[in-house]
Amino acid sequence: MQHNEKRWQNLGFQLGAVVLALLLTSLVILAAGAPPLDAYKQLLKGAFGTKMNVADTVVAWVPLLLATSGLLVTFAAGLWNIGVEGQIILGSIFTTGVLKLLQDSPLPPAFIIVLAVLGGMLGGGLWAVLAGVLKTFGGVNEIFGGLGLNFIATSMTIWLIFGPWKRPGVGSMSGTEPFPESLWLPTLPGLRLSIWAVMLGIIALVVIYFLLQGTYFGLKLKAVGNNPRAAFLLGIPTWQYMLLSFFLCGLFAGLAGSLQVVAVYHRLIPSISSGYGYLGLMVAMLINYQAFWVAPVAFFFVALNIGSIQLPIALKLDSSLSGVIQGSLVLAVLVVEGIRHRLLRK
Amino acid sequence: MKSKLVWQLFALVMIVSLALAACAPAATPAPEQPAQPAEPTKAPEQPAQPAEPTKAPEQPAEPFVFGMVMVGPYNDNGWNTAHYVAGQYVERKMNAKMLYIDKVNPADRPGTTPAQIAEQLLSQGAKFIIFNSDDMKDSSVDFNKAHPDVPMIHASGDYAWKEGKVYKPELKNYVNVMGRMEYGKMIAGCAAALTTQTGKIGYLGPLINDETRRLVASAYLGAKYCWTNYLGKDPKDLQFKVTWIGFWFNIPGVTSDPTQVANDFFNSGYDVLMSGIDTPEAQTEAKKQADAGKKVWAVPYDYEKACDVAPSICVGVPYFNWGPFYLRWIQAYLDGKYESAFEWYGPDWKDINNPDTSYVSFVKGPALSEENSKLVDKFIGELGGGLNLWKGPLNLQDGTQYLKDGEEATDQQIWYLPQLLEGIEGQSVQQ
Amino acid sequence: MEIEFRNINKTFGTVRANIGIHFSIPAGTIQGILGENGAGKSTLMKILSGYILPDSGEIYLDGELAKIENPADAIRYGIGMLHQDPLDFPPMKALDNFMIGKPGSLFPARREAERAFLELRDQFGFTVDPNSYVDSMTVGERQQLEILRLLWLGVRVFILDEPTTGISAQQKEKLFLTLRRLADNGNTVVFVSHKLEDVEALCDRVVVLRRGELAGQMTPPYDTDRLIEMMFGKVIKLDERLPCSATDQLVLRLQNVAIDDYRLQIRNVNLEVRCGEVIGLAGMEGSGQELLLRACAGLVRTVGGRVIVNGKDLTGKDTHSFMRHGVTFMPASRLEEGLIPGLSINEHFILTGEQKGVFIKRDKAKSYSQNKISEYSIRGFPESRVEALSGGNQQRTLLALLKEELSLILLEHPTRGLDIESTIYIWSKLKERCAKGAAILFISPDLEEILQYSDRVIVFFSGRVSPPLDATLTNVDQLGQLIGGKGWEEIFEKEQVGVSNAAQ
Repeated sequence: MQHNEKRWQNLGFQLGAVVLALLLTSLVILAAGAPPLDAYKQLLKGAFGTKMNVADTVVAWVPLLLATSGLLVTFAAGLWNIGVEGQIILGSIFTTGVLKLLQDSPLPPAFIIVLAVLGGMLGGGLWAVLAGVLKTFGGVNEIFGGLGLNFIATSMTIWLIFGPWKRPGVGSMSGTEPFPESLWLPTLPGLRLSIWAVMLGIIALVVIYFLLQGTYFGLKLKAVGNNPRAAFLLGIPTWQYMLLSFFLCGLFAGLAGSLQVVAVYHRLIPSISSGYGYLGLMVAMLINYQAFWVAPVAFFFVALNIGSIQLPIALKLDSSLSGVIQGSLVLAVLVVEGIRHRLLRK
Repeated sequence: MKSKLVWQLFALVMIVSLALAACAPAATPAPEQPAQPAEPTKAPEQPAQPAEPTKAPEQPAEPFVFGMVMVGPYNDNGWNTAHYVAGQYVERKMNAKMLYIDKVNPADRPGTTPAQIAEQLLSQGAKFIIFNSDDMKDSSVDFNKAHPDVPMIHASGDYAWKEGKVYKPELKNYVNVMGRMEYGKMIAGCAAALTTQTGKIGYLGPLINDETRRLVASAYLGAKYCWTNYLGKDPKDLQFKVTWIGFWFNIPGVTSDPTQVANDFFNSGYDVLMSGIDTPEAQTEAKKQADAGKKVWAVPYDYEKACDVAPSICVGVPYFNWGPFYLRWIQAYLDGKYESAFEWYGPDWKDINNPDTSYVSFVKGPALSEENSKLVDKFIGELGGGLNLWKGPLNLQDGTQYLKDGEEATDQQIWYLPQLLEGIEGQSVQQ
Repeated sequence: MEIEFRNINKTFGTVRANIGIHFSIPAGTIQGILGENGAGKSTLMKILSGYILPDSGEIYLDGELAKIENPADAIRYGIGMLHQDPLDFPPMKALDNFMIGKPGSLFPARREAERAFLELRDQFGFTVDPNSYVDSMTVGERQQLEILRLLWLGVRVFILDEPTTGISAQQKEKLFLTLRRLADNGNTVVFVSHKLEDVEALCDRVVVLRRGELAGQMTPPYDTDRLIEMMFGKVIKLDERLPCSATDQLVLRLQNVAIDDYRLQIRNVNLEVRCGEVIGLAGMEGSGQELLLRACAGLVRTVGGRVIVNGKDLTGKDTHSFMRHGVTFMPASRLEEGLIPGLSINEHFILTGEQKGVFIKRDKAKSYSQNKISEYSIRGFPESRVEALSGGNQQRTLLALLKEELSLILLEHPTRGLDIESTIYIWSKLKERCAKGAAILFISPDLEEILQYSDRVIVFFSGRVSPPLDATLTNVDQLGQLIGGKGWEEIFEKEQVGVSNAAQ
């Protein structure tokens, strides 16, 4: 009974956070001179109005799912892997590289795609390990190292698109030459949605869930994350586990980037990571690192992103409103959590 | 005890937020009306059909809704504003309504594609889509393939050009339009050459592609012609240099900063700066320098009223007039005459500033002297009379022959100019 | 200030930590709070100092109801707590730590703070350096710092939770003088301890808690047997000393070991430890015993000599190599280095236990930890998070985590903060290990404990290391002298004899 009451109380607080976020956002919309209810309606419409909108939301859901899943691993190890954005980019770059290398080879396309995706995962993983190495051996905090590596990754994309991988004759912000359709992940008829990508995203989440909840590896990561010193004295090779968690997160981020190439853009474009890494950090914070909540919250976030395209069309509001909603949601949850601690003392 | 407090707090927040949402200006139903979503299950063959209730019979005929996807901000006083006012031109000329979305580029809207955004326009009722940037070419193809029945225009592209290098015969209902800005740039180059006192003309270039190369070359051709023929100077004394920033407008951290580039030009003796980018940094920087006492000028680009940013240093602006293109094609669609096509049209030489007939033009700026103004008019007259500057002998930047003596360039040779021309300083190819 | 507790109740999950606690403390007295681990002393003190809120009940200060909802409130009422595991911010200088919590301007007056710091420090004869880093301080120094900080905040009620553990006899004497002086000036001192002799020597009055309830009160003269009865409900006798049967097998050999620290240099340590042996390391905090102990675990790098474990030269190897060769190290700060806050007891057993396959067998693990929990009388459940356990139960947990086959157990303050019952229990467990062939090296500030349980004793004085002394041939007085730096020539003369003994 006491448990029940507590659950209701928690739910109440969470609802309170959502309402607080809505309140903040409504204020922002009002300040921008638009009717909030209408704005919310347009958001919903943009995300779910048509079959295509829904498909687009799901398309965006996959990389966020993957990035967030990966981040849960580094968060478990107590690491702030800001570099996840760059890891997604490197996934895209490696995948593009493999595809460019093999697209004229006689290998079957399916096989090339598999190689390209594996290559992308490896690329993300290695980039993450680099951040890890900087931390464990260079003494560079992973937040700063990650930011630096993100910057390098972005510059690398631009350089590749306008340099070695430019389109015949011209460099263009629209990216490298698109790959032939045989090298695209098959999509549902009439939609941009690849069922393969969705499956990979869901499988990744399930793998992470079980990895963190049910394996020795996950428990050790948690130990390292909560108290590296004690974990070390209890016999866990701390820095190796940290590097490994970076690598795992990088694999998932790399997969996200890889799918952006083989399933969504079919080429390398600037800002191919689309901020899913940073968004993933927000989702992870919002759900308090509980794998169970990744799927619904990530879906909600991308629905906001996709839906917000309607705002400038219908209401002449800036699309960045979706970012305001996401940000105020995270803030509201953190604030309400703080209030809860104050009021209840655990 | 504590939890009661919490619930009270919670209820309060709830009430306030609901009140806020409800009390908001309840008006502005306007955006909703044209914005009825398509009925996805009903009309698979025509996905952009508006739902029934808006077609109330007693109301005046529904305006035709077309959508515009713009690469930069609609109020950039350049490329995008030129498109935006073209849309307004269509609205004025016929019963039509424009829906637009701007800043559609990877930096401003990560995670979305122009095609996806065009679909959002469809869901708001648009029945005709205009993509306004070369960078949307892949997306315009994606969109066209996904919605072969939706008429669309990709401005500045060449996929529909039968004689072009990248013709895609499989595209249906795919129209490319482009103004022959070569003329505009020649006139602008001429005005620049007449104005410069140091003999050094700078060109603030966006990214390097076929289009930007041929425009820089045109500006140079115009400048060289007026420099030698009107001023009687040695072409060797004319310096013409281009610096590319990397994109159509400044993206901090990605492109070079155009303000910085403009500054470098002025500080190294270039006194007339021509702009090839979408935004007005060349002018604002020239204005700053002029205010500080330097004798410098700028030649903006794209938009008829671009000189308004800083009239005192504005020599003139070559601009696009997209309105007639769009009006004609939308009308053609309504008349059932829409089909894939490639159009590359120039000025109406009878009246280059005619908003209904001239696709490309030039307006003189306040900083163009009276004497030079006459020379510019003379140059326009010569061009209208058949003067062709794209005529041999012309060499490419690396010295290889481009046109033999007396040979006139074909459209393809101009459109796909492989390098800058001999005499121009600056990169021909990115990196 | 007079403090009155009225019917205080506090429950953690299923554990009732305080049940209807009701008593008052007159102003200007030193009030002892006595009880074994988990009796509810710390909970009651945390309530008084605002770190936790009671489920019900009130606190009256000078007859008026006090609303203490957080530590800042408590400080405003003039109540400050000195913690068992001092709460501080490790990578900070002592002075910065000192200034934390002082209300006032955004830019604190450092110079003024430093002057106050030095003044207070000299007044109480402490030795803390305001510019040393907190994470390099000994527990004793950290406590001194905490006391100074509270004094400076203007606190009038001082709560000291097990303050005499982890500091030397001299420091204790000084502390008691300090507390006396505080009380004489009209302050109230609440002295929480499980150590009868400390409470009897210092306190004006004593209350005893047992299993969350108030078991009784007493004023001098104290009846020790009666107090013990109140604490445990029965009278306990200390165990007889049981010497291990030291065999000839060498578990640890140190040859000319040298260690450098920024404060200390240790040179030429030679030691041979046989299996089944217990060696106590005595010395004031920071005299070098911690360094040597950690060097034996591979946690501190030696700069010279060799460390040989079970015949294997492990010089320069990392601690995990030492662990693979049967060495284990139990740190003094349980929650900082020993256990992992946020993980349950069960998860700790899973981490240290046998791991087969990829997936955790939760059911099996749970029944295993259930067994361990009852074997080691840990007051908690498999699901209990370690940070929710009392100090004694944390120590029992650490002990229960030790692997079955160990040859060398290194302990920092194994019974710090524990009551007699737990101490006896833990040593009985450790002696079982000795009987199975493990050797033990341990540090303790309690010379009685060292003499009680060691076979040999090594004394440290600012980096100097004595030869091992036979515990049966020395006594508290001699050890006390050596710790203070006296009588060293004498033992080095004797050492010749010791060495020849070892050679036989």
